[in-house]
Amino acid sequence: MSLWVDKHRPRDLMKLDFHKDQAARLKSLVQQSDFPHLLIYGPSGAGKKTRIMCLLRELYGSGVERLRQETMNFTTPSNKKIEIMTVSSNYHIEVNPTDVGIHDRVVIMDLVKNVAQTHQIDSSGQREFKVVILNEVDDLTKDAQHALRRTMEKYVATCRLILIANSISRVIPAIRSRCLTIRVPAPTENEIASILHLVCKKEGLSLPSELAMRIAKCSDRNLRRALLMCEACKVQQYPFTADQKVPEPDWQQFIRETASMILSEQSPKKLGEVRQKLYELIIHGVPPDMVFAGLLKELVRNCDMAMKCQVASHAAMYEHRMRLGNKPIFHLEAFVAKFMAIYKKFMEESLGDAF
Amino acid sequence: MSNLKKDKKWFKPTFDFDENEPPKPKKPLRETSKTPQTSSVDRKASISTTNNNINFLQVNHKNWMKNFDPVSPEDLAVHIKKVQEVEEWLKAACIHNRSDMLLLTGPVGCGKTTTIHTIAKKYNVKVTEWITPLDIELPSDNGEFEFREKQSTKFLDFIINAANFTSLLDNNQNKLVLVEDFPNTFLRTPSEFTDVLQQYKHRAKSPIVFICSESHTEGRNTSISLFTPSVKDQFQMHHIVFNGVSMTGLRSALKRVSEIISKKYTSVYNVPTADMIECVVNSSAGDVRSAVLNLHFACLRGSNCNLETSMILEKESKSKAPKKKKQASSKFLSLGKDQTVSILHGVGRVLNPKVIVENGTQRLTHAPRDVIEQFLSNPNSFVNFLEENYLPHFSSADQADKAASVLSDADYMLAEWREKMCQEYGLYTAVAGLMLANKNPVSAWNPVRGPKNMKIQYPTPQEFPALDQNFLYKGKVLITDYQTYCKIIGNKPDVM
Repeated sequence: MSLWVDKHRPRDLMKLDFHKDQAARLKSLVQQSDFPHLLIYGPSGAGKKTRIMCLLRELYGSGVERLRQETMNFTTPSNKKIEIMTVSSNYHIEVNPTDVGIHDRVVIMDLVKNVAQTHQIDSSGQREFKVVILNEVDDLTKDAQHALRRTMEKYVATCRLILIANSISRVIPAIRSRCLTIRVPAPTENEIASILHLVCKKEGLSLPSELAMRIAKCSDRNLRRALLMCEACKVQQYPFTADQKVPEPDWQQFIRETASMILSEQSPKKLGEVRQKLYELIIHGVPPDMVFAGLLKELVRNCDMAMKCQVASHAAMYEHRMRLGNKPIFHLEAFVAKFMAIYKKFMEESLGDAF
Repeated sequence: MSNLKKDKKWFKPTFDFDENEPPKPKKPLRETSKTPQTSSVDRKASISTTNNNINFLQVNHKNWMKNFDPVSPEDLAVHIKKVQEVEEWLKAACIHNRSDMLLLTGPVGCGKTTTIHTIAKKYNVKVTEWITPLDIELPSDNGEFEFREKQSTKFLDFIINAANFTSLLDNNQNKLVLVEDFPNTFLRTPSEFTDVLQQYKHRAKSPIVFICSESHTEGRNTSISLFTPSVKDQFQMHHIVFNGVSMTGLRSALKRVSEIISKKYTSVYNVPTADMIECVVNSSAGDVRSAVLNLHFACLRGSNCNLETSMILEKESKSKAPKKKKQASSKFLSLGKDQTVSILHGVGRVLNPKVIVENGTQRLTHAPRDVIEQFLSNPNSFVNFLEENYLPHFSSADQADKAASVLSDADYMLAEWREKMCQEYGLYTAVAGLMLANKNPVSAWNPVRGPKNMKIQYPTPQEFPALDQNFLYKGKVLITDYQTYCKIIGNKPDVM
């Protein structure tokens, strides 16, 4: 039993549900039998990976779907052994270099070199290059990105890179210019709703359109999340009703609780408690930028316009710093402290007016 | 030309250690004694012409610290039981004339080397010490480097020659080989060292002693990396662990020094008072060598600022923390080993800033600059400590906000590792910012907590049976999307 997300993933470029125009262009790109390095970016759950797999299928045929998992071992210059999971077929290899943290440079250089040095055995009727898919390129260290730049040029004859990122603002310009950059925007809510209907039809279920719209709204225009939500709804209650509860991710609930804690009391003691909550979020792997966004969204609900502006600008500042700094918790905490100070002052002033 | 070189090589191992140039006696001396010892006659002459002769004569030994070296085993500050243990071993080893091995370990300055030397002297055993030669050599005229034998081969040749062949100048005494300075090649490849030991075991006819200083950092501990338990077993190596010298041991050693001073060197030193000795004992934390150094510094007659002492003054201020100047007023308590403030102490100073009012202006008792000087080497860990602990000390949200934003600034600066100054600026920002932000600190007992380990644990795809086996999931996506719903969907059979 696999999830709906995986089960109903389109496998052909022409069967994609949205951005069809782009899909047609991709198809014609591949028909030229060669293509440049690609940098595909877009928000999470917009279908980047799906598109790439379709593209590879178009390129190599169904052989690309015979996947195997493998653990590869690398040795860093400081003699540390690191291992990383890869998924590969005969034609491509996929890896998350960020899994190994600061050693990502070694992985990238060695992996691309390994792949590039082994030529295809039977080149008749085959492409003469292999494809390396690198995930989360925007989270790579600067070091690794520079290493990538050199490797890209060196091995262009035998391998193509497909880079996946959420945003290209943190990809160094040198890489951006070496790739064909393709943006995959998130699907609109209507598109999501229609896909939900389609999937439910395939599953033999009837989905009320109000519920479909509500799921689409809750999912933050993230198709993967929408499909998961839909399936979860089905598990919780079927037949569907229009006003059924849509389960939201538990970390979102957690952030909401944290925000209400901040609003309830503004003191260093409370800040300490909030910090524990933030620690928990970070240690469990919720990306700090999502924590930032979630907190801001919850906090500004209780603010008037002038304060909203102030809070948002501080949030932007600390978020930017977090990207540049080492430890996200410092900046998250600084933002919370700043909000507490602003909010407290605001409350005292408005109370002062009341009396 | 080549003949001459050969000669030199042939000579070296046997004739290098005649009476006039004893093997380098002790570690501290290596630094301080370098000038006098290595100086040939002409250099000495040049010094005495540039400086005035009198000063040189006042420190009347070549090496001032040798004046206080223990003469007999009874003078040693080391615990008497340890001394006996070493003595027994040496006696037994010399009788059998076998290649016995002894390993001495202990903290720096606890008297390992001195013990061996003193006991060897008592039993009239000749000690030959290996000192790793400097490997730097200039290329010859045509730009080629001369072929050099491997460091390990050189080492092996040396210790075996030293163990087996008697110098013509000695009258057939027992011999002892001492190794304190391990060639670097062994630190890289410990197996090579085992081979050398094997050879020595078979071929040599004299005991050998290895001395290792223990350090707290795991990586640098030669005694652990070279002398593994299996190596010790294999060669039946006797291992004696020295502890830091006890207070009483230190005190008696310093008493002895002060007696020597009052007998012979009153022209150079003031006779130390009991008070002064106590201070030095307290501040040197079981390190005899530094205790004697400190005593020497403390007792010097103030006015005669001769060459030797000024040199030592430089040495001292380099090695010790830069608080040198306070020492005059604080009566030597700040002199010696104990002045490094522990990280917890530093955290306390920053988080409970004490303000003193001095002629109308407010001033912090511990200036931020003093605090950061002590932690410059590891700003990141210190700032992490501060961040973990600052909150309970604050009373208002406003001030906490200032502190938090200062810490955010600091982290941002510390992240710039390419610019060395940024480390200092970051630390300064954090320390000064925290000290100034806290206008009315909460005074309560707050235990200091260590920074949290922020290693993110992403779940493995195996934890979710519903997932596609052959799809590479990203850790972030697993958390943000799959986790919640897989839990709900995974319960399917129960619902249906």
